Amino acid sequence: MIGVDLMIAGRNLARHTRRNLFLGGALAAVTALLVLLGALTAGMESAMMQSATTLMTGHVNVGGFFKITSGSAAPLVSQYPRVLETVRARVPEVDYVTVRGRGWAKAVSEHVSMDLVLAGVDVAHEPTFRKVLHVVEGDLEALSQPGTVLLFEGQAERLKVKVNDVLTLSAPTARGVNNTADVRVAAIARNVGLLSAFSAFIQADTLRQLYGLSPATTGAIHLYLRDPKDAPRVAARLRTALAEAGYRVMEPEAQPYWMKLMQTVPSEDWTGQKLDVTTADDEMGQFKQFILALRVVTGLLVVILMVVVVIGILNTLAIAIRERTREIGALRAIGMQRRKVLWLFVLETALLGLLGTGAGVAVALAVAGAVNAAGIALPEAVQVFLAQERLRFLLDPGAIATDALVLAAVAVLAAVFPARRAARLKPVTAMHHVG
Amino acid sequence: MSIVSVEHVSKDYMLGKTVVPALRDVSLAVGKGEFLSIAGPSGSGKTTLLNLVGCVDTPTAGRVIVAGQDTARLSERALTELRLRTIGFIFQSFNLVSVLSVFQNVEFPLLLQGGQTRKERAERVLALLDAVGIAEHARHRPSELSGGQRQRVAIARALVTRPALVLADEPTANLDSETGGNIIDLMKEMNRRDGTTFIFSTHDPKVMAHASALVRIEDGRIASREDLDAARLAGGR
Ligand SMILES: Nc1ncnc2c1ncn2[C@@H]1O[C@H](COP(=O)(O)OP(=O)(O)OP(=O)(O)O)[C@@H](O)[C@H]1O
Ligand SMILES: [Mg+2]
Repeated sequence: MIGVDLMIAGRNLARHTRRNLFLGGALAAVTALLVLLGALTAGMESAMMQSATTLMTGHVNVGGFFKITSGSAAPLVSQYPRVLETVRARVPEVDYVTVRGRGWAKAVSEHVSMDLVLAGVDVAHEPTFRKVLHVVEGDLEALSQPGTVLLFEGQAERLKVKVNDVLTLSAPTARGVNNTADVRVAAIARNVGLLSAFSAFIQADTLRQLYGLSPATTGAIHLYLRDPKDAPRVAARLRTALAEAGYRVMEPEAQPYWMKLMQTVPSEDWTGQKLDVTTADDEMGQFKQFILALRVVTGLLVVILMVVVVIGILNTLAIAIRERTREIGALRAIGMQRRKVLWLFVLETALLGLLGTGAGVAVALAVAGAVNAAGIALPEAVQVFLAQERLRFLLDPGAIATDALVLAAVAVLAAVFPARRAARLKPVTAMHHVG
Repeated sequence: MSIVSVEHVSKDYMLGKTVVPALRDVSLAVGKGEFLSIAGPSGSGKTTLLNLVGCVDTPTAGRVIVAGQDTARLSERALTELRLRTIGFIFQSFNLVSVLSVFQNVEFPLLLQGGQTRKERAERVLALLDAVGIAEHARHRPSELSGGQRQRVAIARALVTRPALVLADEPTANLDSETGGNIIDLMKEMNRRDGTTFIFSTHDPKVMAHASALVRIEDGRIASREDLDAARLAGGR
């Protein structure tokens, strides 16, 4: 029976090729749009998170602030080897750990100056650094020598410096005086979107010297987990563990450390050391919000377009039911139950829905594949905004299938109401309706 | 024992705010195996009566009993079941499913009934298509057939479930008189062969002449009922 039902549904669809092509086409277009926008957002998110979790944050970070007076704050973890012991003891999920200095300085070249967020790194102990950074000039190994810095292309251009040129860094220390240090550009790396706009890497000890800090002081401990999904659980456990070990630990707050440094921490009434455990999501909070906003906008757009498609479905079915009134009446007269009439119309729309969304997915895959293969470079302004250099769609089969099925389901739901009207048609109409 | 019993049935239609009485206190019993013709002028209530007997409409007053069941007591679902298993319909304008082939149209009521193998269905459908003389068109769509051929398909569809009762509202009205005659002959043959009860309405005196009994309706009332077979016997034919 299902075979005959499908045949009836399919042939009824084929009978009105033009209006069903139009409707199916609209559904395909909405599906393709949804899939492509989703893949673009996912591409941005993945590119951003991939570079961010290497360059800016670990999956979980143990950072902290040191306040000499209650009105000041420095992003420091003092006596970090002891903190590291607790971390290693309490986080068996960890894959590897890196230690990063945190700072902020004005970089002055012969020509211009700009503000840089500095990360103090020990390149020898940064296993994924070279995977994420594409050094275009100079050598990443050279960053292990004291007095060196790594810039991104955009920064090098702005400062008009090349590899082996010297920059002067000027930074305010915790005691309120400005220290300066001359550093040599060891390497220049390709831009990685938003991140490369303002952050640069400096050899870890050089950063300590700039701020006059002891070797046992650092900015943050980055933990890279075998499964990044464990991050929130690990962070919660670490907070308790560190508190038990006698540290003062800050309440969790989903903000990047530099926002806390600029805004909240200096206005808090305490002095000395506090530790702050954060996750990658906390540190990248604003970017995540941007992605969320993008998804909301995409969703709204699709909802609006879907309303148009639903109106089309309601109209088309109303016409189809009027055209087939006598046929439906006859079928009811010869013994077809109401449920079956409903089913036939719903099946017809489900078929249209699956064909339409299927075509939409196919189009989206073709477009995304072509664009990814072509490697279209984005304009610079857009690069910063989209956090990636090339237009790249990240296709997630699960998400695509969900998109297509949800849209097909909406189409079917829209069909239920007119189909119910068809099912309630009295079989008498078979005799009376003159068509 | 009658297969259809209509007892004091009235049917009013509402046309805006005016009541249109289509049937007034009609009583009629139809026995098993009858080949009954309902005749009457246009608007006299023939279609209305057939609709009530066919359980596709409900009376304003009175009872309609089909195959021993009081139709007023049945749910919509049960009425549909009754139509599916007990009644066959032949419509004036054929009403075949345009997207199905001749074979599939005739097979369709069996699919709705369920419970038969593909082979059993095919045997029954092909035998009927053969009986109504349309076997060579089994694969065609209704739109590829003439009116007479389509009505043959409709007859096969009405008979495929071996119903006790077949209702036909002016089955020959859309056909020329020769084709119409053939269709009535075919129905008569099915009536004789299987003992299926037929009730059909018509305007055509030549068609009425084939009936075993003739009921005349005028203005929503039964004007007369003649037993033609008895008359034929009495006339020595
Ligand atoms: N749905 C309806 N609404 C209102 N009045 C109706 C309806 N159906 C039938 N009638 C009226 O009921 C009366 C009987 O109609 P019916 O269709 O039963 O006559 P009929 O004998 O079949 O006529 P015809 O030979 O033209 O088919 C007519 O006066 C008709 O106008
Ligand atoms: Mg009529």
